[in-house]
Amino acid sequence: MIPPGSLALLAQGAAVSLLLAAAAIVGGTVLAIVLAAAAFSRIAAVRALYRVYVYIVRGTPLLVLALLLFYAMPALDLRTGPYIAGTLVLIIYTGALFAEVFRGGVLAIPRPQWESARSLGLPPVAMFRKIVAPLVTRYTLPPYVNVCVMTVKASSVLSIISVWELTLAAREIIERTFAVFTILGLAAAFYFVMCFGIDRLGRRVERRLALRGFAGERA
Amino acid sequence: MSFARWVSIYGSTYWTGLAWTAFIALWASFGAVVWGCVLLLIRLSAGRWGARGVDAYVQLFRNTPVLLPIYLIYFAFPMIGLPWPAVVCGGLALILQNGAYISEVLRGSVNAIDRVQFDAARSLGLAPWGTFRKVVLPQVLVYSLPALGNQVVLLLKDTSLLSAISITELTMQAKLLTEQTGAAYEAFIVVALLYLVLVSSTEVLFRVAHHAVRWR
Repeated sequence: MIPPGSLALLAQGAAVSLLLAAAAIVGGTVLAIVLAAAAFSRIAAVRALYRVYVYIVRGTPLLVLALLLFYAMPALDLRTGPYIAGTLVLIIYTGALFAEVFRGGVLAIPRPQWESARSLGLPPVAMFRKIVAPLVTRYTLPPYVNVCVMTVKASSVLSIISVWELTLAAREIIERTFAVFTILGLAAAFYFVMCFGIDRLGRRVERRLALRGFAGERA
Repeated sequence: MSFARWVSIYGSTYWTGLAWTAFIALWASFGAVVWGCVLLLIRLSAGRWGARGVDAYVQLFRNTPVLLPIYLIYFAFPMIGLPWPAVVCGGLALILQNGAYISEVLRGSVNAIDRVQFDAARSLGLAPWGTFRKVVLPQVLVYSLPALGNQVVLLLKDTSLLSAISITELTMQAKLLTEQTGAAYEAFIVVALLYLVLVSSTEVLFRVAHHAVRWR
């Protein structure tokens, strides 16, 4: 027996979770491209800065970062505050994870690719567009999708800073109806569908990219 | 308030939180490794349906956030007559979740064992259980040490979620201090630093262990 109306509430919560994750994935990817560029900077200080950023973000729990940002934004309106802080913290978090993924992808480019690009006299922009971007996209797709799934799961942490999404919706319904098993089971089902769906989608994209005459060979 | 002054006044209040976090992380990590080994054993020895069951379990926990099992155990166990303390509930949820990941890590390492060793074990007359305990498990654990270290770090960070079920570990301590003093920055920056220290020392510990047991 599902408490009446709870399914619609959970579905709304799931939509918010997905929206948060989507914003974090888009924002995080943009941030990660900048960060990965910093990781390969010629200036040692910039590279060090990248390492410090990744070290801090990966070494502290997401919840601590979220609470820090949440309490640091009292100037904001209380209704939108948690949402802005939550989205920001998710972007900061996924940015670091994606950046590490991209960095690994760039390192995986075989040396001959660099050498031939240089011997063809490709300017940096063309080198990035024709060599680096297509190769890194293909190399890093599986871990990239992995981080996307993690982002959906990580968005549940934001329920603690009162962002109304799937987990908070479930908690609220449980507090009213005490239907712990049903509601948490349904919430788990929603999360499962979202995460599993992203995983499957990633695999399809992987196959699509692989078909375009690219053997996907690695060094 | 200056940072040094903050630490000199409130520094000592962090000890309980630090102790709880370390305590839970330690025991939950141990439990998760044991649970991961059990899941691996089921996968390897209980036939096709055993493997399918473990697969379903792993997929379920991989695709849902940790907060759900935490809430499930914390809210539901009292209803079915098991009023366990929050620490046990939270620890159990972390074990169930991370055990799933660890069993996958271990499974990857099983493939690194030379097939010949299984023949050798059989020719020595080892029973399946003996093969698992004396041949498979020791090697798998050693091969997986770096990946296990990663998982332990993730678990350590996930203990912060237990603040949601009113366990006074580090994150909860920072929340309480913030509510008492109104100083959020100081309270949370100290906690973030403490997490960084814990995470870094865990990483170093696993690296040292990896070097110590590497036999090649």
